[in-house]
Amino acid sequence: MMLTILRILFLRLRNNPLELMLVFVMPVVFFSIFAAIFSNGIATGSDKKLRVGWIASRETALGVELRAFLESNSSLDCTPLISAPSSVDEEAELQQEQLDDETTDKIIADAQRTGRYDLIVRLPLDFPSKLLDGEDSVPCPVQLVTDGQNPMAVAMVTSVVTGFFAQKKASMAAEQLMGLVSAAKHANGYGNPVNADQSSAMDGNAAAVAQQSRGVRYFSPVNDPSKIFGNDPMSEWLISDPSGVTSLNGVIGIPEDWAMTPEKSEQTTAELIEQALAEKPVSEISDTVSISVEIPQAATQENPRIAMYAAGIAVLFLLFSSTGNAAALLEEAESGTLDRILISRAGLFHIVGGKWLGILLLGCMQITVMFLWAELVFRIQLARHVLGFCVMTFSTAAATASFAMLLATLCKSRAQLNAVSVVIILSMSAVGGSMIPRFAMSDRMKEIGQWTFNAWALDGYQKVFWYQSPVTSLVNEVSVLLGSALVLGLLALVFSQRWKRG
Amino acid sequence: MTELSATKTSPVLTLQNVRKTYRGREALKGISLELRAGELLGFFGPNGAGKTTMIRCISGLLKPDSGKIIRHPFEDPEDDEPVRLGLVPQTPAIYQDLTVQQNLEVFGQLEGVRGRTLKHRIGEVLEWAALKDRTRSLARTLSGGMQRRLNIACSVLHDPDILLLDEPTVGVDPQSRERIYEMMRQLTADGTAVLLTTHQLEEVETRCDRIVIMDHGTIVADGTLSELVSRTIGQPHRVILRFDRPYLNAVESFVFDEPRTSATCALASMKELPQVLLVLRQLDQEPARIDVRSYGLQDVFLELTGRSLRE
Repeated sequence: MMLTILRILFLRLRNNPLELMLVFVMPVVFFSIFAAIFSNGIATGSDKKLRVGWIASRETALGVELRAFLESNSSLDCTPLISAPSSVDEEAELQQEQLDDETTDKIIADAQRTGRYDLIVRLPLDFPSKLLDGEDSVPCPVQLVTDGQNPMAVAMVTSVVTGFFAQKKASMAAEQLMGLVSAAKHANGYGNPVNADQSSAMDGNAAAVAQQSRGVRYFSPVNDPSKIFGNDPMSEWLISDPSGVTSLNGVIGIPEDWAMTPEKSEQTTAELIEQALAEKPVSEISDTVSISVEIPQAATQENPRIAMYAAGIAVLFLLFSSTGNAAALLEEAESGTLDRILISRAGLFHIVGGKWLGILLLGCMQITVMFLWAELVFRIQLARHVLGFCVMTFSTAAATASFAMLLATLCKSRAQLNAVSVVIILSMSAVGGSMIPRFAMSDRMKEIGQWTFNAWALDGYQKVFWYQSPVTSLVNEVSVLLGSALVLGLLALVFSQRWKRG
Repeated sequence: MTELSATKTSPVLTLQNVRKTYRGREALKGISLELRAGELLGFFGPNGAGKTTMIRCISGLLKPDSGKIIRHPFEDPEDDEPVRLGLVPQTPAIYQDLTVQQNLEVFGQLEGVRGRTLKHRIGEVLEWAALKDRTRSLARTLSGGMQRRLNIACSVLHDPDILLLDEPTVGVDPQSRERIYEMMRQLTADGTAVLLTTHQLEEVETRCDRIVIMDHGTIVADGTLSELVSRTIGQPHRVILRFDRPYLNAVESFVFDEPRTSATCALASMKELPQVLLVLRQLDQEPARIDVRSYGLQDVFLELTGRSLRE
């Protein structure tokens, strides 16, 4: 008996191509979509780089170095928001036009609205020309401006910026060490010779410098001072300096009292080196750079991220409910109700138009309820964005209504519509950003997503709620959605003629 | 219901040589038909005969390839009001998740009936369809018979001149069927021309004013039952006489079989039977058994369409 029941199940499945499609084809389709997203779209993918914008209120040599460092990083796609020089000298620094905070804020806000950047690195006016050490040093201010969509971006760029300053610090420490060693060599020529113990002590100090510089490998070659003694071009420079070693290769920080000439020295060279190192330990990286993270949207909103999730979920369910309502047309056709209506005073245009209008209104109400709830519970500040919300909601609901009507007019039965709509809607939602955030997708996947309502709707709602853009900035999204509504609606009207006259 | 505005001789619908090829098949091969005001026309035919195609053509849901469908042959040039048509599909074409009242309201509005007129008409129709005590019930909670009555009620709110019904009594109990025919009688009494398709032979025989039999896209018979029988079979009654012994005398109008132990006699009326028996008695040949069979629509139908199975 169980075998017979089993046979019935398989026979029914075999005789029902739609169910077969749902059982076997749909998982494959979805696997393919998600595989494509995760293999090419998420940060692990080969073509996925964090898109970093760059803006400096004042271009400095150090800033240009930092930008070059970011640009050279294989995980980042760093591009300046405005034209930026490839190098800056002192004269150029003085002559350049500086950007005030207001202008910079505007450029950043505009860039964020495009949705092209995961994060923007901003160097304020007080970002220095070069890295200082010693008592004059102040942390270099670096601001990371994010819209908060991609939390990974902040962590990653922070790490890269910190790495830059670590290298700079290490480089500076290395130069200090080279100065010490060169000075020792210099002293060897004029004063007390460095004995083997002192040389060993210098080596140990070099190791200490390396250790304090957070293990940057840059230092490993100088553990052997003999190598520097043999190839150090600095030594020539130091020797030619008549005032003693007060600076090293342009980097200030060698203690005043360490400046020495053979005539002034009352201590052995080794003692001077030990003293210098004791008085001037390598500073922490945190003393070198100060990274602040700024989320402009958070300044005016309590929970801006929720709005995007609300929109994503709303559009997904809007598509389902719209096709469900449009399916009433097929039910009416199957029951004969449509025939009865068709011979009444209502024509096909009234039927399709009336249903479209109904689905549109229901869709608007559905999204409104969703956002009202989000406002009530998560404080998305709906009242502040009510105009943009209304525009986006109407456009989105209109597009989905037309889409649902077109599907209904193309399908032969409600069962067929159910199967087809599940496949299409879930696919659109996966690619369009209702399931996986669009910021996590590659550019290619984002481009593909542009063929879905979800993507345009989400981009629009994001502009309204995240970037607080004016309604005029929604022109693209609204045009696409309303254009789709018009085209798909007309197509639905054309295809619905099959019910009118055979 | 409205006053009877036309007599049964006034045609409200005329089909002239209507042809229609539907889904690659010639479904209608030159149909000509006339439907008169206040007439109940039974449309009969095997499956695939073209009945549904014809109804869809009449209702405007299909456009004929050729021929004419005239809905208002007695058209008054002064009267702009077109002939009102009502359609009752085979399955209850109502909204199952609306109440009886709501269904009547929306279908009335779709036919252009509004306001007080609609309210008044709904009251009349509820009474007519015996659904007055179920106005607030959801359609899906009604019995099959009630749903059928509501199905018909939704089609008459605009007081149609022509009502097309497709199998209106399929699957309903005898009481509901009786009520439905009573409703149709009231409609025809008020001047509405009713065209119904059905497979219930006895209903067509006893209820319809006129019967049309259709087969292979053509009308093969059209008339009252007696006319059809007369045209296809001849006399409507057949008397079969069985004898104990072979009957040797020849009797006019008797057809004997071999070995002449039974004979068949066709009668125009059952009133002729006593006279036949009297003749036999006079001949001292009283039959041992008498079987009387009256011809009906099934005989006519099988005679015209054959006995081979259809779709």
